[in-house]
Order: sequence, then structure tokens, then C-alpha cells
Amino acid sequence: MTYDVPLYEGPAHYPAPAAPAFTAPPHVAEHPDGIRLMEVQGIRVLLAPRPGPVSAGLFFRVGRADETLATAGLTHLVEHLALHRHGVSDLHYNGATAATYTHFHVDGDLTDVASYLNGVCAALRDLPLERLETEREILRTEAAHRGHGANHQMPLWRYGARGHGLLSYPEHGLWHLGPDHVRHWAQTRFTRENAVLWITSDTLPPGLDLTLPSGPPHPMPQVHSALPQTPAYFGGDSGVVVMDAVVRRSTAAGIFADVLGRVLYRDLRQEGGYSYTATADYSPRDADFATITALADALPQKQDAVLGGFVDVLARLRAGRIEQADLDAVRTAKLRQFETPDLTAAMLPAHALSLLTGHRRASVAELTAELHATTLADLHAVAQEVSAQALLQVPTRGADWAGFTEAPQQSAEIVTGRRFTSHESDEVALIIHPQAVTLTAPGNAVTVKYAECAAMLVRPDGARHLTGFDGFSVSIEPTLFPVTAADLAVIDAGVSPYAVVPMPTRDPKDIPKPGPKQKSKRPPREPRKRSLWTWVFWTLVVLASAWGLVGIAGVVGIASEAHTDESWSRDLGRWIRLFGIIEFGLVALAVRVRRKLRKE
Amino acid sequence: MSPAPPSSRPQFDPLVVFPPLARARHLAGSRDWPGLVRYFAALDHPDEVAAACRTVGDTVGSETFLRQVADQYPGEPLPRVLLADRLITKGWDIRTGARAQHVTRSQFDQFHAHLRQAEQLLIQVCAEQPAYALAWYLRTITARGLSLGQSEARRRYDRLAAHHPHHFPAQRQLLQQLCPKWSGSWEAAHAFAESCAQAAPPGSQSPALVAEVHFEHWSDLDGSEATAYLRRPDVRDSLLNAAAKSVLHPAFRPGFHGISAHTYFAFAHSVAGRHAEAAPHFRALGNCADEHPWLFLPGQDAAAAFTKHRKSALGRG
Repeated sequence: MTYDVPLYEGPAHYPAPAAPAFTAPPHVAEHPDGIRLMEVQGIRVLLAPRPGPVSAGLFFRVGRADETLATAGLTHLVEHLALHRHGVSDLHYNGATAATYTHFHVDGDLTDVASYLNGVCAALRDLPLERLETEREILRTEAAHRGHGANHQMPLWRYGARGHGLLSYPEHGLWHLGPDHVRHWAQTRFTRENAVLWITSDTLPPGLDLTLPSGPPHPMPQVHSALPQTPAYFGGDSGVVVMDAVVRRSTAAGIFADVLGRVLYRDLRQEGGYSYTATADYSPRDADFATITALADALPQKQDAVLGGFVDVLARLRAGRIEQADLDAVRTAKLRQFETPDLTAAMLPAHALSLLTGHRRASVAELTAELHATTLADLHAVAQEVSAQALLQVPTRGADWAGFTEAPQQSAEIVTGRRFTSHESDEVALIIHPQAVTLTAPGNAVTVKYAECAAMLVRPDGARHLTGFDGFSVSIEPTLFPVTAADLAVIDAGVSPYAVVPMPTRDPKDIPKPGPKQKSKRPPREPRKRSLWTWVFWTLVVLASAWGLVGIAGVVGIASEAHTDESWSRDLGRWIRLFGIIEFGLVALAVRVRRKLRKE
Repeated sequence: MSPAPPSSRPQFDPLVVFPPLARARHLAGSRDWPGLVRYFAALDHPDEVAAACRTVGDTVGSETFLRQVADQYPGEPLPRVLLADRLITKGWDIRTGARAQHVTRSQFDQFHAHLRQAEQLLIQVCAEQPAYALAWYLRTITARGLSLGQSEARRRYDRLAAHHPHHFPAQRQLLQQLCPKWSGSWEAAHAFAESCAQAAPPGSQSPALVAEVHFEHWSDLDGSEATAYLRRPDVRDSLLNAAAKSVLHPAFRPGFHGISAHTYFAFAHSVAGRHAEAAPHFRALGNCADEHPWLFLPGQDAAAAFTKHRKSALGRG
């Protein structure tokens, strides 16, 4: 089976436009903090000097949330390919792919910086695609060994299988993305309009060549919600409670996250002794919103108390019981960050990201004033926003008792169509419809509409694994359901070719085999089968013995009658043949049945 | 305790046994919110506050009135706590006191729905006023009804105990949770009763938990094994020590839960055949008692059982 993998969008090939060597004279704008903004070869560049080694970073406005489930890993692949040629140099450099940006970072002197950035840009213009197969392999290996953070499930429950939700998913694109796909992504996303460079220097490195293709700036990824209602909860891994909430970006929200962390630590670790780790974090998501994440771990016998304590901490902050001492302590810690030497240079990456994502670039004076102006009432308002938006991952019991709504556990719709009952259970069935597929089991039904299918993994053995944008998945295993190639063709015809992920052949032991079918609660068949064959065996033994006696009696009878010599010998010969055939048959059958019994 | 002569039929009705509770019932029944506020403000013992709260919660139909009051005074904890208790009681009436296997799915659903409403009111109150004993006390009950787990029930009690270290009504609730019938263990239940008894100041209620845990343990055993348990010398000694430190201590202040405490001591000694040891408790009870343990004796009604054992102990009807 071969697949024509279509490109995600646009034409297959973009000619790299020849960029001017330098925009001369560079346009310079000065930020109140002394950060200079200029444009070099169509790329925005931020400069602020600091003594000692130079650091630089080239940001692109592309990341995992811009991909699709079928192309997940595409940006990461480009990042790896762009850095391949630096593999053996002594330079201190790094590349990182995040949800909404990709960052190439280097430390060294101005010559190192120029050589690194020139190399990255050259590689982006002309990716070493002969390395594609190897880099895909390396990235798959990296993924297999990468641990998951305690919060890795949150994006999928909040956003589903697209946009920011993709951070929960494996990089499916690494299985199938071809050179055209990767080149196209580099040429449309790693463009000068989507880039911002920062350098901790007041001059540009000599010999810098940032030639990159031109392309329209990309807006931040669209945000979709998979949660019909918040606050919501879902059941997750044992041993940890995690909460996140999406709030408007503000200085107060940043302070609130740290206050939340302090209160959780005090309640759950210092006072209760239920947790070892209890902490919270604030991360900007886009220009306007940030994600506040809090988590507390727990011993198995304490996790109910951790959940209870967590709920009470949130309730207390929502009720406005926030200590002035906590606000003051967090404010002091944040103000202290501004006391670092060469503050302006240290803030360059944050400024670069703000430029890239369209967030305001506040000065240190403004941020300091905001920190000083933040009141308990501001934190109370953030606490209310967090409570209303919260998504909670709970270890064992639900959180409906605390006013959280369970996140959707099954699809709202079930299709009608051809029904395929599982080989394993009469109560499990697949329903294939020209527009969607449903998997039903007692108390549960999951539907993936082909038009809303984020990815369909296809195995050479016929298996299909469909994931909808809402995050629900249906697996179709031809070994478990009586589906034919024609039935699968109905699904293949419905799913967009952009969503198809051809997967490699599976190890036969990874292909599910149907267990014994569970129909009703009849006694198991095995003992009956065994007793039947045992009975057959012993019947044959009795028959063979009886026939043996009949045979001897026949010989004796023929001998005693003794008609004539000729007739005697003829009768005896006939009898022995008849007897022998039947006796041989009986014994042979008994031996076969005995072998069968031994095998069982 | 009631001065009524011990010759008449015993009184089990809490409103008769502890007359101030009748006033709470009357105020709740007549929807007299200012009266209830004054009534609760005048109570100075956590036992009485808890008993009064449960009495209001037991007043059929009071939820409409309490909801109105809670809406009218959104910043006040008392209306929400009383409403929560009413919802808990209503929910538990739907569930009934039967063992879980005899409760239907629909009964459980309604029970949990009522408890969840109550719990959310209580979460708010505890968040606003972390030292508000009554709310934490009720949360030890909702934790059990909603099956929130041993460690969570314990956490709630610990939050209460941080401000009110010898809250006997809450200790009784947590003791229930620690028993095997609510997924606890006898080790945990006995250890908790013992630690409360040890920590309690002389003359307080808490050591009476020892009598209650022996009753619970007895009720879980069968026939002769059960009686033999209460007859054990170590059980007898622990009962005598606990009584001496609590209900029989000169500093003991009789109150609503004192009646339950005396009842469990009297019951345990009586069933073990130690009538002399049961006598001081029957004398203190007079004609009033907690009905609960006597319902567990086979073949007779609670009043007859109480009267019979009191007669054996005091030598008169």
C-alpha cells in the first residue's frame, strides 16, 4: 500500500528569495530601557550590550501549537535539521521548540555568534534533507526516552487534539513527513517576517548573513476549547493533583501564581505533611493570556487529603483570604530579579518574545511600578478568574463534590450504520457510517467524525486509529472486529488525506489477538471438551478390547467347525482380514484421541 | 441530667432529654431567624452548638427558610452551615441508615446530590473562616457520606482540631469513619479513641470515645464472641479509666453529649454483666438515655432493654 502524502498547505516548493545583504542604514528605535530595535535583512533585531561573552538568540513564531496532530513534530524536525551542521563544533549553542516559538541560542564571542546564526539561516534556506531519515529516527528515539511532566495531560483535556492541545500528543509527523513537507514548513514559517533576533551586544557581529525567505507573518495559533464547562476535572495519574487555569496576562496574575505556590506549600507540605512538592507557575500562552499551573504530589495513602487540601486552598484564595505577608514576600522576590547586573541585556529574550507574539514591551520602571501597585484585591480578582477557569486533574476520586464538572468522558453523538460486533464481546461494537465511526461499549460510546478527524494512523495490517479534534479516539483492529477492506475504504474515503499518518509494520506481538469471546455467563467450555474426548477414548478402548475377544472367539469357532481344509483356511483368512481391519481402525482412533487429550 | 425518677418509661427523645434543644426546634420551625441567632450566640459549649445545629438540620421543611436566610445574609456563616446540615440530614434520610448493599442507585444519587450541595456551602464557610468549628464538624460527616477517603476525613478533623483540640462531636464523627464499616480498621479506631482520651483535660467528654469504640467493636462481633469481648479485663480497665477521666470526674460538666457518653459506658458494662460498674452511669442518666446502643440488643425494644439493665444495675425498676 502506498500513500501520497499531501502537503499540509500551499505549493510544494518556495524559491528562497534573495535577501539584501544589509538594510542600510538600519532603522533604529530605542526602548526606554536602552534596548535598540533595528531591522537587518528584514529581521527585527534587539540589541543591548553587556560585558563578557555575547549571547544571542533567533526566535521564530512557529511551534508545536501551529502543527496538526498528523504533522506533529514538524517544527522540531526543522530545528534539528537546522542545527545538524553545528553538531561537532565547540560552540555553546542550543535549539528549542516550544508551543508557539522556536529558539536558536548561542553563547560565545561576536565571531561565534555570526558563524552560528549564519549556519542556522543557511541551513533553514537549504535544509540538509539527506539527513531527514536519520533525524526522524533520532527524534523518535528522543521521544521514547523523554519523561512526561506531571501536567502533560492538561493540554489535551483543555484544548483537544489541535492547537495548544498537541503538546500532550506524540510527534506523529516523525513517522511519515517527507522532504517536500519539511522544506515547505521551513520556507513558509522560518521566514524573516516571523523572526526576531536578540544579541547582548551594542553592535552587530561582523559578517552576519541572516538571509531568509520572506513570508507573511503568522498570527498566534487559534484557541479551541474541549471543555464545555469550567471549573472541570478529569481522572489522571495516581500520586499527584494538578490544576491549570487560563487567565488574562498581568503583573497581578504573575504574583498570584507565586502566592498560590507558597500557600499550597505551607498547607500541604509544612502543615499537613501530605505532599513533598507543592508549587505553582505562570507561563504566558500568547499576547493576552497566560496559563497558571499548580501541582502537589502525594503518597498513595495521602492523596485524598492532598485533593481536599488543594480544593480548600483554592477556595480560600477565591474567598479573598490572601495574606499581605505572602503578597509582600512575592513582590520582594520579583523586585529582586530587577537587581541583577546587566538587567537590560538579561531581559532581551523576553522582549524578543513580546515582539514576536504582539505583547506589550513594558519597561523595568513600568513593571516595578505595577509590582508596587498590586493589591490584595487585584490578587483576589485573579483568584476568582482562576477558580472559574480551572481544570483539575485528580488522582482517584472525582471532584464533583467540590463543584467541579467532570470533563467529557464520551462523545455526545453516536452514529447509526453498519455494526461490527467485537470478536471478544457481544457488548462491544464498531459502527461505521460514511461520515463517522463510533465505538460502543457498555456505558460508553466514542465517535470520531471524519470531517473532524485530527489524525488517522494507518497500519499495513489494516488497523486504523482515529483521533478527533475533541481528543476522543477510536481504534479499529481488524483482528478484533469483522471488518473487511471494503469497510475500511469507507473510513479512508471520509478522512482528509491531510490527516492520514502511514505507520510502519507492527511487531506481530503488538497486534492485538482476540481473547475468548464473552457472550454470557455460561460455564467455561474447556472441561466439557476434555471430558467428551476422555469419554471417546475409553469407549474406543472398550470397543477394541471387545472386538479382540470377538476375534479370538471367531478363530476358535472357525477352527472347531472344521469343514474342509480348504474352506477352513479360506474362512479363517477372511475372518482375520475383517477382524484385523476393524481392530486396527479402533486402536488407531484410540491412539489419536489419546494424543489429542495429552495436548490439552 | 434530668431529675425525673428512674421508675417511669425511659426518655430517648433528644428534645426531651436535653430541653434547650426543643427551643432550637421551635425557632427553626417558626422561621425565627433573629431568635436562632440569639439562641446560638448564647450557647457556650461546642457540644451544645453541634447538637443545636443537628436539631435545626432535623427540622423537616426548614431548608426553604434557611436558603432564604443564607441568600439574605451572604457573608454570615451560620445560615449556610445550618442549611448545609439540613441538606445532609435530608440526604441521609433518603439514603437511610441501611448498609450500602441495601441502598438503591437512585437513593445514592439523591443522597450524594444533597451532600454535594452541603459540602460546597461548607467549603465556602471554611475558606472564609478557617476556625469555624461547626463547618469543619459537618465536613467530617460529608467526607464520610461522599466517600472522600480516610486521609481527607482525617485532614478535616485535623483542621478543626488545630483550633478546637477536644471537639467531642467531631471526634465521634471521625471515629465512625475510622471503623471498618467505613473502610477504616479497628487498630485505627481504637488508636484514635485512645489518643483523644489521653490528650483530653480531666473532666472532658473525649475519653468517652473509648466506650463508643468498644460498643462499635462489640456490634461487629457475633453472639458469644461479642459478649466475651466486652468481658475482657483490658476492655473493662479501659472503660473504668476512661469514665474516671471523663463523665465520672468531678470537673465533668453534664451536657447533651454527656448523655450519650454515660449511655455507652452503662451499655458496655451491662452487656458484660458488670452491673456494679454500670450503676454510676445509670444513676447519672436517671430516666434519660441515648437510644442507639439499646437498639442493637436482640429480641426486645430499646426502652425494655434499657429498663432491664438499669434494674440489674440499680436493683430497682
